[in-house]
Amino acid sequence: MRLSTLGNVVAAEHKFASKSEMDLIKAVQGGDKQAYHKLYQQYIAQVYGLCYRLTADKSLAEDAAQEVFIQLWRKIGNYQGDSKFSTWLHTVTSNITISYLRKQRGWLYRMMNFEDSPAINELAEESSSTVDIESYIVRLPERARLVFVLHAIEGYRHEEIAIMTNMAVGSSKAQFHRAKQLLQEWMGYE
Amino acid sequence: MNKADFESDLQQQLVALNREKQPERELWSGIELALVNSPDVVNKPKSGKIYALVAGVALIGLVSLLSFHTAQKHPNGSDLIASLSAQHQQQKQALLVQFQDQPALTSNWQEQVAELDKAELAIKAALKNEPNNMALLKLLQNVYQQQISLIERVHSPKWSQI
Repeated sequence: MRLSTLGNVVAAEHKFASKSEMDLIKAVQGGDKQAYHKLYQQYIAQVYGLCYRLTADKSLAEDAAQEVFIQLWRKIGNYQGDSKFSTWLHTVTSNITISYLRKQRGWLYRMMNFEDSPAINELAEESSSTVDIESYIVRLPERARLVFVLHAIEGYRHEEIAIMTNMAVGSSKAQFHRAKQLLQEWMGYE
Repeated sequence: MNKADFESDLQQQLVALNREKQPERELWSGIELALVNSPDVVNKPKSGKIYALVAGVALIGLVSLLSFHTAQKHPNGSDLIASLSAQHQQQKQALLVQFQDQPALTSNWQEQVAELDKAELAIKAALKNEPNNMALLKLLQNVYQQQISLIERVHSPKWSQI
């Protein structure tokens, strides 16, 4: 197969995939629960992955992912197809998870600055050779982790993160710097 | 190993990071259960507000009707109170079902709803003696509107503008 033909096939496949996804979304917007189950199966791993990196806790992440899909059913009517669905879904997921996390963390937690994530203990049990970047990320203190995930992985600007997390833009930048300093130390680049 | 090495290593690891992760717990059954209880909300993000608007218009209509009847002939205030209450209960239950799986912004909203329930009972007790007292009827209508508004407000998260 010539390269140009291959390119056309790839483009056509991409277009087809987009169309079938849009059809699925339209079916969900029309109230089709079977279509919603398909959409769930298609995106649960992405949604849970993001929830886990934001919460650094498997149980919280599962609850948050569940909450995302319950609220998504009510919110999907707002999706107009202006951006990629996965981009829109990641924004919805981030906002719901941050809001969920905020509710779970009580006043005492915030005042006492109990920022260490539960994943610290999990990491301590692993040898350094088996530790991957995700294990380091979930080990970051909460605010530094939220900013790092949203900026370095999800690609949000600090101005956007400031709104999402209810912190100043300067604080977002400072937390990102803190996250990188910790990662640099843990990854052996001192 | 310098900072440039770290930046490069970090970038490589972030690019290679698997964004997908499967939850250990089965989540769909819980989601499905929640959807069963709110079947008609897809694509109607402002349905709650519409409910409140319709209820408000209906209540105003009923009170206006009573005012007209008061001027025209002997009214049946008890029937109106019963009608107002029934309509409010229906509206309230619909909202509570709609929002039952949605997190509330305050933890004590149910206590506030209960306090308004007590106010409703006190006004109804007074209306038993004076079923055609317009001030009391308007007060009852106001309590009902406050309750609907409260349920709506505590279940409207800030990110709903997305």
